[in-house]
Amino acid sequence: MLSRVADNLYWFGRYLQRAENTARLIMVNASLLLDLPKHATFGWGPLIEIVGAKETYAKLYPDATEANVVRFLVLDQNNPGSIFSSLHFAREILRTSRDIMPREIWEKLNDLYLFVQEKGDRVTSRARRQDFLTEVIESALLIYGMIVSNMSREVGFHFLRIGTNIEQADMTTRIIEVRSTTMIRAGSGDQLAPFLNIWWMSVLRSLTAYQMYRRHVRIRVSGPSVLRFLLQNRQFPRSVVFCLNTIASTLPNLPPNRKIERSIERTRALVQDADVEGLLATDAGLHRLIDEIQIGLGDLHDAMRAAWFKL
Amino acid sequence: MAIDWQRYRCEKFYDELFEAPGKARQAACRLAEYLDDLTDAELADRRVAADLAIKTQGITFTVYSEGKNVDRAWPFDLIPRVIPRAEWERTERGLKQRVTALNHFIQDIYGAQKIVKDRVFPAELLAESVNFRKQCVGVTPPHGVWAHICGSDLVRDGDGTLYVLEDNLRVPSGVSYMMENRAVTKRVFPELFETTTILPVDDYPAQLLEMLIEMSPRKVESPTIVLLTPGIYNSAYFEHSYLAQQMGIELVEGSDLTVGDDDCVYMRTIYGPQRVDVIYRRIDDLFLDPEVFNPDSVLGCKGLLRAWIKGKVALANAPGAGVADDKVVYSFVPQMIKYYLGEDAILPNVPSFLCMDDKQRRHVLTHLDQLVVKPANESGGYGMLIGPRASEKEREKFKELIKANPRNYMAQPTLALSTGPTLVDGGVEPRHLDLRPFILSRKDAPYVTMGGLTRVALVKGSLVVNSSQGGGSKDTWIVDLDAEPEATQSQSQSQKAVA
Repeated sequence: MLSRVADNLYWFGRYLQRAENTARLIMVNASLLLDLPKHATFGWGPLIEIVGAKETYAKLYPDATEANVVRFLVLDQNNPGSIFSSLHFAREILRTSRDIMPREIWEKLNDLYLFVQEKGDRVTSRARRQDFLTEVIESALLIYGMIVSNMSREVGFHFLRIGTNIEQADMTTRIIEVRSTTMIRAGSGDQLAPFLNIWWMSVLRSLTAYQMYRRHVRIRVSGPSVLRFLLQNRQFPRSVVFCLNTIASTLPNLPPNRKIERSIERTRALVQDADVEGLLATDAGLHRLIDEIQIGLGDLHDAMRAAWFKL
Repeated sequence: MAIDWQRYRCEKFYDELFEAPGKARQAACRLAEYLDDLTDAELADRRVAADLAIKTQGITFTVYSEGKNVDRAWPFDLIPRVIPRAEWERTERGLKQRVTALNHFIQDIYGAQKIVKDRVFPAELLAESVNFRKQCVGVTPPHGVWAHICGSDLVRDGDGTLYVLEDNLRVPSGVSYMMENRAVTKRVFPELFETTTILPVDDYPAQLLEMLIEMSPRKVESPTIVLLTPGIYNSAYFEHSYLAQQMGIELVEGSDLTVGDDDCVYMRTIYGPQRVDVIYRRIDDLFLDPEVFNPDSVLGCKGLLRAWIKGKVALANAPGAGVADDKVVYSFVPQMIKYYLGEDAILPNVPSFLCMDDKQRRHVLTHLDQLVVKPANESGGYGMLIGPRASEKEREKFKELIKANPRNYMAQPTLALSTGPTLVDGGVEPRHLDLRPFILSRKDAPYVTMGGLTRVALVKGSLVVNSSQGGGSKDTWIVDLDAEPEATQSQSQSQKAVA
């Protein structure tokens, strides 16, 4: 496989996963805001933090109103991480990889891209937003399903899968970071206390984790158990450890590289060994851990680039 | 607006489907009948279905305009062009003959130049050919083949004669659209394929791949074959990726390739460098190798020509093959066929006047209002003068151009290009069309596509069929009438139906 093509497939996996996660994030935030007391909402600003686009956003919009944030996250071509941009990049990659990817994937992705381009304005209407985002999520999942069902398990598939999983690990840690720090800042004795439960539930829902969490954890939803689940659970596909395990499991199919293996082992150990309760006791503890995980994911990306993608 | 063939005004030109208003040619009878039976709503549905198929399958071509590359949906007309098998078989023989002679010519030109010494082909033409590559002198590619893939443009004149208008021997494109047009038609008119024997076109990628494998310098079980594209911004990028996909070969860009100290070509893969045996290149000669040709080219690969000359890699088409697709050289093809094969050309050339010849030039200059003037080396319909439609000012400009550089121009009479019924707002009207079949020069015998790409000038009265200039395309059917025992019966029925 050409290095350039491997790199493209890796990014395709990332972009597709990013589009899906972003759509879900918006849906869940909208629903959470309806449940929180009006005087205590955090509004839409945290979403910009989650996707790590504070600077880009500040250049484009004066304030974090619902309409602006949603437009920025879904449609704005100036935001390289918007759903539209992600689909645009994914589509450009498919155009150059049509010889590798099953043809129906191109057709479906092209449909989705055209749908967002043509019907994107629907997100500005609260009433129609839900349906629009559901369509995005379901189409992305359908494309992923086509990939898993129809694509030979050749190297290209593995690069794509690595992309999907590193993106998910990244998104999961970002959601944890932003949501938890907001929570910690709010404090438990605060007026928000009665809503803690639904708050953590919404964190789970942003990652479609609520139902699976319930099956694993019987006690009522609490901060530490949610964090443990999203970071360390071995069975839930969007947990950080699960994603890292998946990446590790693809390595035997790819040209061996010790640096990559070590990078995964290090980050995985970091997540697995983390003492979640202890971290939550201090303001900076969780923040530091998430930072370290993010650096680990960045290292992994660099190591893969050096070993496989660089021309 | 349902189709009413009685009102189809096709008398002015030779129409591919109709002998006279309301009277379909034999091979097109069932098609005419079928279309005639469609209601307004059905016809509109089929059109929407075709547009949708083109959109969702992402069948596009790229146009460069106003400094931007725009991806446009492939313009496609629903009504196919129909050719009876018997006529096609004769055309096929003519094309094979032609390409065989052209390959002899190129090999001769880069070798002994016998045709020049025997005064059949003028030496001065060669001396001034911009597509002659001196670096290729003395090279003999595998099987002596230079123009592996040829796309020849055929046009039909008012009396029904099929002429060869030009041969494209450098990087001819369009074959993917030929296949996609068929895929769309099958999706939109599946019923017609049940009642008519329409010969399939899908064999092309397999034939192309086998030809490329035959060319491999290493006799290994599965040589590495790649398609070299200039990249996503090339107008034919869709076709490059389509063909690579159909053949299951790597689609590479210049930056993916390197030439090693051993003069072999390698591609950069995740496992490290991998040797490449055959390159189907879709970039022009001059961008192939910055070491030899255009030093600023970033599309090609340094050292590629060296590797080819040493026989370490095979290139399709071979560098320098374009020497024979010059529009002035074109006018000598009938002589080449006679000279190399001892045969008369099966397919005639369009009569041509060469401006380099004093007598012929005088004729051209005094008859500009009746002629089409073409520069020797442009493609895509650029730089042409269509005399009868040009303004006095344009004709004056061309007079000066011709006088300044006579070798670079040739002229042909304006043909009464044949037409085919084409859907337009409010019904169907005749539109001018041509046909581009593709010929593969395989080791043992040439292969010709079943039909080819029919291009149609969508603008009323226009003769320009190039997609970059408002042209569209049609599916092309080679219909086997013998395979349909009830053909005669159906014909009489259809004449009743449309009467």
